[in-house]
Amino acid sequence: MATRIEPRDPLTQAQGVEQGYAQTARRWPSQPLLRRPHGAAELSGPRDLAHKLPPVKGDLAGYGAKRALGQLTRLRIRVLDEDGAPLPGTVVEVWHCNSAGKYIHPNDTHDAPVDPNFYGAARLLTGDTGLIELRTIKPGAYPVPDTGGWWRPPHVHLSVWGRVWLSRLVTQMFFPGEPLNEADAILNAIRDPGARERCIARLVPSKGNEMIFEHQLVVRGRKGTAVMP
Amino acid sequence: MSRLIPTAEMTLGPFFPREFAKDASDLVRGSSGEVIEITGVVSELDGKPLDNVILEIWQADAAGRFDNPGFSGWGRAATDAQGIYRFRTLRPGAAQGRAPHVNFLILYSGLMRQLQTVMFFSAAPDPVLNLVKEKERLIARQSGNTYRFDIRLRGGEETPFFDD
Repeated sequence: MATRIEPRDPLTQAQGVEQGYAQTARRWPSQPLLRRPHGAAELSGPRDLAHKLPPVKGDLAGYGAKRALGQLTRLRIRVLDEDGAPLPGTVVEVWHCNSAGKYIHPNDTHDAPVDPNFYGAARLLTGDTGLIELRTIKPGAYPVPDTGGWWRPPHVHLSVWGRVWLSRLVTQMFFPGEPLNEADAILNAIRDPGARERCIARLVPSKGNEMIFEHQLVVRGRKGTAVMP
Repeated sequence: MSRLIPTAEMTLGPFFPREFAKDASDLVRGSSGEVIEITGVVSELDGKPLDNVILEIWQADAAGRFDNPGFSGWGRAATDAQGIYRFRTLRPGAAQGRAPHVNFLILYSGLMRQLQTVMFFSAAPDPVLNLVKEKERLIARQSGNTYRFDIRLRGGEETPFFDD
């Protein structure tokens, strides 16, 4: 069945230029975004992404002498559409810094140690219930350069595809109970408290040696025919 | 049916893994059609070029179809230190009711949400291009098989962007 994409409540999404995040005022367009009619181009999407973007590195924590430093963590992330229907077989990209707050990326100039046993990037495919599971370590916090004291709270970057071009979602997942969550310029750019809350994972009880965090991502799209705006 | 609210988008940040953007900028892979290169510079306010901007495209095949199993129509590229991106693809045909075009999605540090724009090959009538005042900013400049499409995020010759 066809997918339709409806406008979102602006309170549930960041709006562009944010005080406290100086780059937004250099990069977000000054002109209002245009709303366009949706046809086949916008309401279709790639079908064979898993071929083009093959799964890589399903476990970032490692074992024994190759174990990454940090608190063992298992992420259970479910991808659903707006009707609550799970998205099986969809690509999920995950990346985060090491337990000291350092990314593997060459552009990260932060003075924190690299962990030779940690490589912070994984690509997975959701299972039948729209779920991915990733064993990793909990990322650290880090200061953002030249911002006068803004520290990013521990967070995980997520990139997922929904059913159509307009349901692409790139976001971040936060951890519950982190004091830095209260002042983070990215999380708090979401004005609606409930929408912010839904970006924070839930710690679930575990008898094992891993902290288990559950999280849900909702990509845009409902069943039904597009209504022209 | 109750409706779930779409998750808030957030910035890609500056550290998108380099290997995620590797080997995905060539859409041709043996499909038939006119092979072209799409290239350009992504810049911010004051025209400064931006490094490691992620661009994703979605386009029809040479016949204007979005459901060709032999041609995925999707690609991803990252800008280099000079702000330059490159795609190798097929020139898309006209889908029903549309002029030939390539959909662009831009992800970057400092962009709180993804930005959407559309590249056209000419000023042919099109319901999306018709919404735009500065139409020439969405029309690529052709030189042989290369189409130049610069993207200015803000200020100056700012690229028109679409919400949804």
